[in-house]
Amino acid sequence: MEGLFFNVNNGFLEGIVRGYKSGILTQSHYASLTQCETLEDFKTQLSATDYGNFLANEPSPLSTSTIADKATQTLVDHFNFLRSNSVEPLSKFLDYITYGYMIDNVVLLITGTLHERDTHELLERCHPLGIFDTMPALCVATNVEELYQSVLVETPLAPYFRDCLSAADLDDMNIEIIRNTVYKAYLEDFYNYVSTIGSTTVDVMHNILAFEADRRTINITINSFDTELTKEQRAKLFPAIGRLFPAGNNALAKADDIDQVRQVCDNVGEYRSFFDNSASGQSNGDLGDFGVAAQLEDRFFRMEVHLNKLAFLQQFQYGVFYSYVKLKEQEIRNITWIAECIAQDARDRMHDFIPIF
Amino acid sequence: MGDDYPTLFRSEQMSLMQFLIPTEVAHDTVAELGELGNVQFKDLNPAVNPFQRSFVGEIRRTEEMTRRVRFFESQIQKEKDVVPIRPLYDSAPLLTVGPSAAHNIDELDVTLAEHEKRLVQMNDSYKTLSERTRELVEARHVLRETAVFFEKAETQHTDIRTSFDDSSAPLLQHDDREQQYSSTVQFDLEFIAGTIDRTRISTFERVLWRVLRGNLYMNHTDITEPFVDPATGTETRKNVFIIFAHGDALLAKIRKVAESMGATLYPIDANADKRSDSLREVTARLEDLETVLYNTGLNRRSKLLKIGENLARWQDVVRKEKAIYETMNLFNFDVRRKTLVAEGWVPTRDLTMIQLALRHATEASGTSVVPILHELRTSKTPPTFTRTNKFTEGFQTIMDAYGIATYQEVNPGLFAIVTFPFLFAVMFGDIGHGLIIFFAALYMIYQEKKWARQELDEILGQFFYGRYIILLMGTFSVYTGLMYNDIFSKSLHIWHSGWDFLEPGSNGVSYAVSNGHMYPFGVDPAWHGADNGLVFTNSYKMKMSIVLGVIHMTFALCLQLPNHIKFKRPLDIYANFIPQMIFLQSIFGYLVVCILYKWSIDWSTRDTEPPSLLNMLIAMLLSPGKVDANAQLYPGQSFIQVVLLLLAMVCVPWMLCMKPYFQWKEIQMIQGQGYVGLSHHNGGHRESTDEVLESEEEGNGRVIVEEMEEEHEQHDFSEVVIHQIIHTIEFCLGCISHTASYLRLWALSLAHAQLSEVLWSMTIEKFLGMSGIFGTITLAIVVVFWFSATVFILCIMEGLSAFLHALRLHWVEANSKHYQGEGYLFTPLSFAKLDEKE
Repeated sequence: MEGLFFNVNNGFLEGIVRGYKSGILTQSHYASLTQCETLEDFKTQLSATDYGNFLANEPSPLSTSTIADKATQTLVDHFNFLRSNSVEPLSKFLDYITYGYMIDNVVLLITGTLHERDTHELLERCHPLGIFDTMPALCVATNVEELYQSVLVETPLAPYFRDCLSAADLDDMNIEIIRNTVYKAYLEDFYNYVSTIGSTTVDVMHNILAFEADRRTINITINSFDTELTKEQRAKLFPAIGRLFPAGNNALAKADDIDQVRQVCDNVGEYRSFFDNSASGQSNGDLGDFGVAAQLEDRFFRMEVHLNKLAFLQQFQYGVFYSYVKLKEQEIRNITWIAECIAQDARDRMHDFIPIF
Repeated sequence: MGDDYPTLFRSEQMSLMQFLIPTEVAHDTVAELGELGNVQFKDLNPAVNPFQRSFVGEIRRTEEMTRRVRFFESQIQKEKDVVPIRPLYDSAPLLTVGPSAAHNIDELDVTLAEHEKRLVQMNDSYKTLSERTRELVEARHVLRETAVFFEKAETQHTDIRTSFDDSSAPLLQHDDREQQYSSTVQFDLEFIAGTIDRTRISTFERVLWRVLRGNLYMNHTDITEPFVDPATGTETRKNVFIIFAHGDALLAKIRKVAESMGATLYPIDANADKRSDSLREVTARLEDLETVLYNTGLNRRSKLLKIGENLARWQDVVRKEKAIYETMNLFNFDVRRKTLVAEGWVPTRDLTMIQLALRHATEASGTSVVPILHELRTSKTPPTFTRTNKFTEGFQTIMDAYGIATYQEVNPGLFAIVTFPFLFAVMFGDIGHGLIIFFAALYMIYQEKKWARQELDEILGQFFYGRYIILLMGTFSVYTGLMYNDIFSKSLHIWHSGWDFLEPGSNGVSYAVSNGHMYPFGVDPAWHGADNGLVFTNSYKMKMSIVLGVIHMTFALCLQLPNHIKFKRPLDIYANFIPQMIFLQSIFGYLVVCILYKWSIDWSTRDTEPPSLLNMLIAMLLSPGKVDANAQLYPGQSFIQVVLLLLAMVCVPWMLCMKPYFQWKEIQMIQGQGYVGLSHHNGGHRESTDEVLESEEEGNGRVIVEEMEEEHEQHDFSEVVIHQIIHTIEFCLGCISHTASYLRLWALSLAHAQLSEVLWSMTIEKFLGMSGIFGTITLAIVVVFWFSATVFILCIMEGLSAFLHALRLHWVEANSKHYQGEGYLFTPLSFAKLDEKE
């Protein structure tokens, strides 16, 4: 039945987003991008893609950050177009996508203020998708209570922050805890919200969000080794969704080293590969935990890309919008990476990007 | 075929030429050829990435120049007072060929860079200045507004107090403290004043309220005039705010919030005298700044004026340079890298012109090395190039939209010049409507020179593009209108009618009797308004459209013949053309003959009823050999019909088998002589590399890059059979359905006539009888309504529909009989077309 009326409100936007999606760089684009000698070449090469001449009016010595900014700007333009043409419940769904970026921005601002950085510089570094009106006022706050009362209370993030009001003062550790608590609340809320908007969307989005949750769980576990974070606190940060939940989460909460994490992940078929080669990697060179984490991060991204690509196989659902944003984000990371490699002449590492199509 | 004069009948003969151009004259040569616009260069390094080609550096430089020129253009456009841009034809040309070309380009590059630097500098200083002015203006506003506020507070002190009390009414338990508070106010209460973006004011207020827990008093007023950003030209509106709060901590917080929200704070003194002092100071400084600002703006404007004089010229040069280098990137270096090797398609007729151009380019560049030009032999299909002028262009476009003609194929665009407007007119036949569109087209042609230069919007532009088609359509419509004797659904009575109406009989019906006259041209006006008029025109138009259709299809079929002769395919004449022709003529040609025969007989003197031709045709196919005696058209009919039917029947296997059989025999013969297909044994790669190597060794005389996909079509026998089967079925069924399809001529023309009649009788006719002033006015209004409906509904809407149907008849019914349309368009390097694209 959903399929019957889906196109009334969302057909146009789905068409648009699928069109955007086919503009995502392909393997052959990347192949020619990696052959570039200079950033000028890079610009010429990109102008042959859907990016068009988005860099045409930039004066000549290009910097990597300009490329990244401009590429992000295209994503933001696309997103804003979708957002302004959408109606309920799609508009709400799109808003949910921005909440993640809002959380990141909030944490960035708090951390920046804590380290007494310049406010305007911080504001420039915020992700444009997560900007909201009262955001600049965040830098006034000195503790969570105040933060919540003065600024966040009127943003959609308010319910997420309600749980972490207890964290008394702001230091790096606490901010990290706040970030994870808030993100956990956000993911759970998004997960629940998705459940209300139709079965196809549920199928697609639950997979992606479950993976997102698991990724956070694993990351939190690995990052909390050898820190002051107690195991009870750690357990509280795990999102109560995902494929590792609940048994895996319990085990992870008690884990002490990376091997135990691996054992937990082995219980889920798709996650088994995350740690597969890391053993051989360890035997190769002395990468240590850091190396494993870096490799793990890479695999997480690959998995994310894979899941998001799957979203496009289903018709009549909202997952495509989420996936498009995520894929485009990954593409921008790739472009920036390649551009960075060209700028710093690190050609051997250039191929470490994550191809999408 | 007419090598001395360009013709539309076939596309131009093309030659693949190789240019050996010494590097030093390459640029000038390409420039010269670009002006000529006659050479389509082939990409000789398809495998090379765009940024690995030889002239990337130059392209990048021109791109940089383009960016600068674009920057100037945008700056000029943003300027509020219009800066005139001198049009291209007025400016002195910048020499980009010849010995000084490189120098000139370098100079241009430097000039552009300099101009850009100066302009950016000026913009910056202008911006800083206006920024400061803006700050001062804001400060002045803040001072003024706060002064107003303070004055009001001064006079209404008590009011303020009460109002303070009122607002704190719910907090009455702190009454004593409150009392104390307000009594100590007396304007030594600290405050902060500044300006903020109007859109942010509500957020600002809310945040402050929450941050300070409501311990503030805020007042704000609008600044009426907007602030204009000089760089982008966007307007921002701002508000002045003043916030009273108590305590340093709170004030610090307010400051911080205000700054992070993008507000500007101004130090304002609580003392009225000091305030007026600073106001005076601000005003004085503002005046100074404004003079400076004015001068800077004047400077900037004069700079822009200077740029505007040259801008069109620069744009032109930069665009051409880019095209030249992009073309040169398609070239190949020879072994010693001294000469560039280029290949391109050239109309054979223009070879001398190109040679002249090459010589001219050499002379201009001042060297003695002449580029060498020689023809290459190739098995590749050349592009299709049909020379058109402004008259034929539209008609050719109609055919090109269906498919570009195969190289040297008979071009249906030539015949469309007559057939297209004619078929249109058959559907649109009305003298009045024809005249309207004729004069509309005439007007467009009269305005041609003016309109061609300016940008027309999409819809008008399309009509303008087809103005000559419309002209012919109008003319032909007048002719068919005369034939139908229709003018705005009325009839013309030029000659004596062939019929006289008798006095009405008892039943009120009057019969017409022939009076011996013959109406010499078109339909007799006596039919107009007759009760059986519709029956007559229906029968007449229906038969006429069949006749026209069969003639049109036969003609289209005949166009196969020159193709087969030209491409030396005698087999196709015997196996396709002749049986197809016999098939078509023996059924539908016969039908046409019957129609004409039936028209030529005075049935009132015969003792049999006129037979229905439709039934006759059906009976001919379903029960051959039997003709009903009542429905006999002429004696011996059954025998002739059987013969014709047998002829048509024979044609089907003829078409089906003959061509495959002969091809099979040919294959047998080739294999019998011991030839075997090469590609079965040799990989295609080997072949091509050999070729490339060879050509590199010899250096010339061979095509350097021969794409291998083409010309390797396997002449598989089964493919030939299947193709022929499809072709046969398509033709036989097509004959029937296409003939029926021509009935749209009848339907559309009927609909058009009826619609215009309805329009007439529903509007004007009802008001014609009215007299007096009132009647005249009503009539005038109705005439206006009728006329606009005629133009919009009958001329434009009906016209478009008739146009579409004429288009279909050409594309589907006629083109399918002969047109292959597998060519590709000739796209030469041409500076003139470069301008069009922009």
